[in-house]
Amino acid sequence: MDIHTKANAGETHAQNIRLLRLLQLASPVLPVGAYSYSEGIESLVQKGTISSADQLEQWLVQELQYGAVRLEAAMMLRSHRATVAQDLSVLETWNQWLSAARETEELRSQSLQMGRSLLRLFQALSPDFAPVPSDPCHFAIAFGLVAAAWHIETPWATLGYLHSWATNLVSAGIKLIPLGQTAGQQLLVNLDPTIAQATQDLLSLQDEDLSSSGWGLTLASMSHETLYSRLFRS
Amino acid sequence: MFKLDVCNSAWGAKEVLKFYKILPKHATVIDSKLTTISDTLCSVNQPHPSPPTFAPNDWHGALFLTFANRHGATELIENLGQAPLKVQRPFYPEGDEACHTVIMHTAGGIVGGDRLSLDIRLLPNSNALLTTPAAAKVYRTQGREARQTVAIAVAASAVLEWLPQETIVFDGALYRQDLRIDLAPNAHWIGWDMTRFGRTARGEKFINGVWRSHTEVWQNDRPVWIDRQWLPGSDVLFHSPHGLAGSPIVGSFAYIGQAVDPELVQAARSLWSGTLGETGVTRLQTGMLCRYRGTSTIEMRQWFIAVWQLVRATLFKRSVCIPRVWQL
Repeated sequence: MDIHTKANAGETHAQNIRLLRLLQLASPVLPVGAYSYSEGIESLVQKGTISSADQLEQWLVQELQYGAVRLEAAMMLRSHRATVAQDLSVLETWNQWLSAARETEELRSQSLQMGRSLLRLFQALSPDFAPVPSDPCHFAIAFGLVAAAWHIETPWATLGYLHSWATNLVSAGIKLIPLGQTAGQQLLVNLDPTIAQATQDLLSLQDEDLSSSGWGLTLASMSHETLYSRLFRS
Repeated sequence: MFKLDVCNSAWGAKEVLKFYKILPKHATVIDSKLTTISDTLCSVNQPHPSPPTFAPNDWHGALFLTFANRHGATELIENLGQAPLKVQRPFYPEGDEACHTVIMHTAGGIVGGDRLSLDIRLLPNSNALLTTPAAAKVYRTQGREARQTVAIAVAASAVLEWLPQETIVFDGALYRQDLRIDLAPNAHWIGWDMTRFGRTARGEKFINGVWRSHTEVWQNDRPVWIDRQWLPGSDVLFHSPHGLAGSPIVGSFAYIGQAVDPELVQAARSLWSGTLGETGVTRLQTGMLCRYRGTSTIEMRQWFIAVWQLVRATLFKRSVCIPRVWQL
């Protein structure tokens, strides 16, 4: 094997490891409790606003194009960049920003609970990694930090973040509406172009243009806070 | 006309400079105060900024207000306005402690290219209610954005109530408003924002244009509430449940200043008695937020006034006093 082939083999190996780490970080079995949150889908289904795969798809597409998940993913990216730059104060500033920007108390609690779980998990796996923000830490911030620590590049980290978010809400929809497993998988396939486009947009989104169309989600989440009987925590 | 003594005012060179910067190059009436400001600028060795580029008919309105507590009474101690913005003489319908001030936009509406800048300060222990005499209108534009920027600083133990009347955003408008509030420890802010998308009386919908409303409240140099709303005009967003759900009227009421009990949130929810809109209430890190989406400014405003009354009674042991200009 000449030196170039060896270098290529080394790079392929490193790239494969990064892909495996992304699959692990974006996996539905990542133990952060995502399955217990519906982000307003439960109250929308109870109200009858969402009662089909098509309506759920429209909701998720608009979240990806205009909604709060864009802000979360944008914070994930900023956390990733701050971790690469080893700038803890920038990372903590965006963490505070997200605390102030989360639409409702329930969504804020969700984001902090999942963030705490992911950060603890990561510290158990990589006890020597520094710097790490102090608790409370949002999920998007923790996700960006772990992705950077695992050398997952920002486009992949964004795709993975949005995909794991979509998988979780489709899974909530399957239980709540209910939908068949095949319909759920079809919905995920349908979301791919929107996730890819959102990733492109988010990579170049400037701080001053961080904004979202939040009326539907905020009202759904506020209404979830008052549901008498519920399966999900958001 | 203005009672501003730049040398003895609470404004530093930075503020004076800021005011100078936003004056339009084409202003036909320039108040003599500018001379004073220019002199001050020279005396503090600030470079003269080059004025931004304007089309000849653009309004570049500005308003600087400072409220102070003088012997238990809140007084408007500084009042500097550039057309089309100005204030009416303050009035005191609930006694000396709280100063009611009406902000006027004398041009009738906001068009593409307009810039409005408001800078409002409340000194310690002052108490002001700011409102407007009528709905604001943002007209359709041929590609130029209109922008309103409001910066509010509330000092310790001061309370600002920011209660403008609704904004009507015409189809085809490009509008951005930025509202930034800085609260000192133990300062409080109560505010609402009510927006109608399209001239609904004539069946108009907001299908073209872009609306952004960024509100940020900071306390002790930390963000405590960031609300960055964005509505790109589109048939899909106007009708979908994720966007406006076909309801052209949206509004937010917020109280920020200290953490509130869940009972206050519960009480705010129970005050809702309307039938045309959807509403919700949640706790913020140091306050409370109410949202409305529906088709009636009347029921939205009734609910917001009821919640405002609740907040005043619970946190400040005062009842509300409806400003006379509202003509309810």
